Amino acid sequence: MPRASHPHAMQPRNPGSTRTAPPQMSPKFPMQGRYRAYTLFDWTGLIYLLLGFLALRVVWALGTGQEAWNVVMDQFQSPVYIGFHVLSLISVIFVGVRFFSFFPKAQPPRIGPVKPPPQPVILAGLYAAWIGVTLVMTLILTGVLF
Amino acid sequence: MKHLLLKLEPIIWLLFGQGILLGTLLLTGWVLVVGVLAPLGITPLLSFSDAHELAATLIGRVVLAALIALPLWKGAHHLRHVFIDLGGADRDATVAPLLYLIALAGSVAGVLAVIRL
Repeated sequence: MPRASHPHAMQPRNPGSTRTAPPQMSPKFPMQGRYRAYTLFDWTGLIYLLLGFLALRVVWALGTGQEAWNVVMDQFQSPVYIGFHVLSLISVIFVGVRFFSFFPKAQPPRIGPVKPPPQPVILAGLYAAWIGVTLVMTLILTGVLF
Repeated sequence: MKHLLLKLEPIIWLLFGQGILLGTLLLTGWVLVVGVLAPLGITPLLSFSDAHELAATLIGRVVLAALIALPLWKGAHHLRHVFIDLGGADRDATVAPLLYLIALAGSVAGVLAVIRL
């Protein structure tokens, strides 16, 4: 069912001369059509928030000592944590693919005197950086590079 | 409060944007190894001493601080918008500061965590 959306959404700075109907939330919201990806993208915020705190826990344990580190690593072997991290990995990849797809389109025509590179070049650069950082991070964390 | 949020919007957006960009770049390998592959025994994980030595370098501290703090801001800002989209716009002046305070507290704790390494 359609319902009233955020009353200030898309509100113009100056009221127009013509009265317009109040904005209505689409009946497709939240999980139909293009709203599905939009809603899921927003909900990845919860995953990122939890991942930030989990990373904090790992680093805090690293600063505390071997025993605290072992406790965290043991806990990470539980099916609950593994399941959450699999879901997190899917979420992070989803965020990356979605964000990188619209990042080139969101560039202004000029940044000061400089014209941004063509969209395919920006997209290729983002993916190269993503794959490169992931590869380096993986090699470091598994002890191959260190 | 709404006025303050609007004034802080550029900073929040900067942290949010970097949370998506840098957070995603850093989290993919982190979650893959620390959260999935190593716990399943598919790959080894750095030993405590190696991990500590690496993390205690300047670059290690900066990367870990970013890995902790930036996803928190991405998460807080997106959750704020989930709340607004689900009809909570009237309570945004309460919910938004709460979410940003959580992100701020986590970020401060993250900086402390890398300082004490």
